[in-house]
Amino acid sequence: MNAYDYRIRALFVDVRSREAEFRELSPGLSGTFLGGRGIGALLLSDNPILDPLHEQAPLVFSTGALTGSRIPSSGRMAISGFSPLTGTVCSTSVGGRLALSMKRSGIDLLCITGRAVHPVVVAIDDGIVSFETLSLPLDAPLSRVFGELRTGPGSVAAVGKAAFGECRYAAIMVDGVFSSGRGGLGTVMASKNIRAVTVRGSGTFPVHDRQAEEDARRDIIRLFDASPAITGRPGLKHFGTAALVDLMASRRMMPTANFRRTYFEEYRAFSAGAIHRRFSPKHHACPGCPIACKQKAHSEIPEFETLSHFGALNENADLDAVIEANRICNEDGVDTITAASTIACLAEIRGECYTGARLVDMVRRIADSSGDGELLKLGSAVLARELGAPGKSMSVKSLELPAYDPRGAYGMALAYCTSTRGGCHLRAYPISHEILRKPVATDRFSFSGKARIIKISEDLNAAIDSIGACKFAFFGASLEEYARGFAAVTGLQIDHQDLLAAGDTISALERHINCLRGFTRKDDVLPLRFFTEPGTPGPGIEVPPIDRAAFDEALDRYYRIRGCTKDGTLTLKRREEIEQCRHR
Amino acid sequence: MQAQVDKYLAKLIRHGLIAGEADAALFGLDDVIFTNRDSVPAEASELFSLLNINSLLIARPEPMLWSIIGQLADGNPGLIRPRDCESLTFIHDIPVVPSLDPGPVARALSRRKGCIVRDTGIVTTGTVSLEQAFISMSSICFATFVKFFTGALNAAAGHSGAAPVDPAKRSACLELLERSAPRAFVEPLPRRLPAATEDEAVRAMDEAGRSVVEAGLVDSFFGNISCRDAEVVYISQTGSSLDELPGYIDRAFMDGSSTCEITSSSELMAHVRTYELTGDDAIVHGHPRFSVIMSMFGEPLEFGRTRFIGDVPVVAGEVGAGSRGLLHTLPPAMEDHHCAIVAGHGTFTSCTGSFAPALRRLSSIELMCYRACRDVLEAGKTG
Ligand code: SF4
Repeated sequence: MNAYDYRIRALFVDVRSREAEFRELSPGLSGTFLGGRGIGALLLSDNPILDPLHEQAPLVFSTGALTGSRIPSSGRMAISGFSPLTGTVCSTSVGGRLALSMKRSGIDLLCITGRAVHPVVVAIDDGIVSFETLSLPLDAPLSRVFGELRTGPGSVAAVGKAAFGECRYAAIMVDGVFSSGRGGLGTVMASKNIRAVTVRGSGTFPVHDRQAEEDARRDIIRLFDASPAITGRPGLKHFGTAALVDLMASRRMMPTANFRRTYFEEYRAFSAGAIHRRFSPKHHACPGCPIACKQKAHSEIPEFETLSHFGALNENADLDAVIEANRICNEDGVDTITAASTIACLAEIRGECYTGARLVDMVRRIADSSGDGELLKLGSAVLARELGAPGKSMSVKSLELPAYDPRGAYGMALAYCTSTRGGCHLRAYPISHEILRKPVATDRFSFSGKARIIKISEDLNAAIDSIGACKFAFFGASLEEYARGFAAVTGLQIDHQDLLAAGDTISALERHINCLRGFTRKDDVLPLRFFTEPGTPGPGIEVPPIDRAAFDEALDRYYRIRGCTKDGTLTLKRREEIEQCRHR
Repeated sequence: MQAQVDKYLAKLIRHGLIAGEADAALFGLDDVIFTNRDSVPAEASELFSLLNINSLLIARPEPMLWSIIGQLADGNPGLIRPRDCESLTFIHDIPVVPSLDPGPVARALSRRKGCIVRDTGIVTTGTVSLEQAFISMSSICFATFVKFFTGALNAAAGHSGAAPVDPAKRSACLELLERSAPRAFVEPLPRRLPAATEDEAVRAMDEAGRSVVEAGLVDSFFGNISCRDAEVVYISQTGSSLDELPGYIDRAFMDGSSTCEITSSSELMAHVRTYELTGDDAIVHGHPRFSVIMSMFGEPLEFGRTRFIGDVPVVAGEVGAGSRGLLHTLPPAMEDHHCAIVAGHGTFTSCTGSFAPALRRLSSIELMCYRACRDVLEAGKTG
């Protein structure tokens, strides 16, 4: 057993001055904020009210402590910054080889500030930073950028035409098909005049206790094998996230026609079964992941949210158009959820419907900034406001809602509003218990107990995002097993309650940053539609509008549990506690 | 949340896990604590403040079970390591602490979903619902019961690594065994299968599920049940309680053409394969305690090998469809025998016409295993 003192090794790069500096974060901070999303929030809190596109606003690429270990499904990278779409703190979890390559390069974290004079590529080779240029034009498709930059092992994170065209929800694409999509961090990267970050490394990783690491790995794999959602016949391992299409339709919570309905009669056109019959896709995975939920045929098979939103949300039953829309988003670097939702919003306002080739054309215009693209690239909240119909944007804090209708899962309704990056399903992921019955089932049409469940789930997911793990792993395993892996790898005497406590600190810090940026209770609310219009009923299923009073009571309870005032801001006591954590 | 408290208190009694209402304190926390007690004891409040949880269960198991747990804890100070398949997969090991001192109990619960508190009972938690705390409590009771008797049997038979039993211990063990005899099996209404309608299928599964639970042939929630109608398989959802099936049954297709069944039991693929091989109409899977104990008696069974208890095949295989999963070993055994025990896990039976033959078989296998246990103990070597 070799002792391994867990400290986060951070590389700070200023792209204007081209200076790079290594710093080790204190063990106290490393233990409190863990890595990944947690450290991202910590760095954002140093200067919490910067404009997202301000030169000094940081863009943070942060690995987790488990990255590179034998703990399954733990090679995710967190990318953090302030969102130009929402104005909130924003962090995304992204797959691909980026996190692994950074670790191999001897770096746990890369924090970029400044604005390069000319568009550059930040190249990191075994920890050495250099700045390169790329001969391709700024509007080149990202497949060409990746083709140019990807030489041998290593990883590339790049932004494309949408980011340089000031689309507010431009994505950072990693290794071609892995998307850091939500919130527009690609736009932040482009604002720094960075076209790509390339990372190569040849190092190895220290592990505190190999046997304990192996024990944790075995326990996790056994739980994956026992999980129907992961390895079961209809699970992610066989169908990817497309497996959720049938389920969401059957539960009558598939957002349709810009959330005017919750069931799309033609959903089978883009179901997992249809995709498999037509394309027999091959699976691929993030490094070290036995689940391998990613699927590729002639083109990347879209994730569930993308299938559902380019499908049902736009009343489009043309699978080829869905796949082509997804391909364009990947080529131009655009968040698919916001793109699809903004188009659906425009369609509703105009009383039109964009399907098939028309839909594909709309998607193309987002990055081109041509025709409707000028409006579409602003996101649905701004678009709807500019067209005088703010109620038609199906977003919370300007982040468009993904493909789970909140009228069909009340924990989800609450979580959309309390999420620190806006209308996002991944901050608390209540679909796990409200629909997938993991770890146990809860009543999806009730707010009873949901305030604390959502608070704990937010803490859980903040911890997951901070140790480098993938959320899908938690359809089988739990933080209990991952905490053992974390302790084995880092040597920190840490258990799952310690990880949850870290998650609590991270979630509270993110909320606090948002409050400093002007967000309060008034922003923690769903669009009016969900309180006034019913969803589509099905056999034995009624989908009434959400009871506003019950929602407000649940939100009140959430605030009390989270340590907030009635207005949603942290209490003084909680702020002081968070401040202490920031200086450990 | 009060409804959850009431529901799981009633289930603890109905499942025979506790002797009476006074033996369990249940707590569910949203922004205030709901409980079956008049007030919230200081230890419970302290545990809620130390742990990021929303559910807490403190219960003293019924006296016989508690005495078994006590004896096991005596021999395994600090930590009990069950070897049965479900426990290995889901609860891993069970910490043992001396008293309900919130500090040490919280430390134990920070590692695992439940622990044994020597002067109190079993303490378990949940982060989503009291159901988790109930499942953990039930799982710990099952795991300790199985470990106790497996150890006693191996000792009685002088198997390698097992210490010989002294005569007093052996007779105490036999007495405990006597008091744990399988309950009488309640035969469900003989509804015909394949069912004429989906409603009929659900009703048949509901009745069959309840009779499995009433006969004590499954611990808490684990176990599953299905029936087939041509291309459709009706199967209990993952983690569903077999005595509460209506509303928790998935409709899966034999050919896998829909993915709605993503919420169905982790053994769906083993069920489908069994139907393909046997042509049967129904499958029942329970965790009868003595069947599990007898399947763990002796040397561990290697993956891919089969042995027999009477005429019932015993195969190895982990939960689910992994490379060493029971999907690969169970269906071939079912093809020949329409029943099989998966070592350290539970029993599967299948049949045609109605659920009744499969249920009867499940029960008779358990009785056979119970008698086999008694025979081993009675004939056992003494020190
Ligand atoms: S489950 Fe999918 S997204 Fe998660 S790590 Fe594995 S391949 Fe990547």
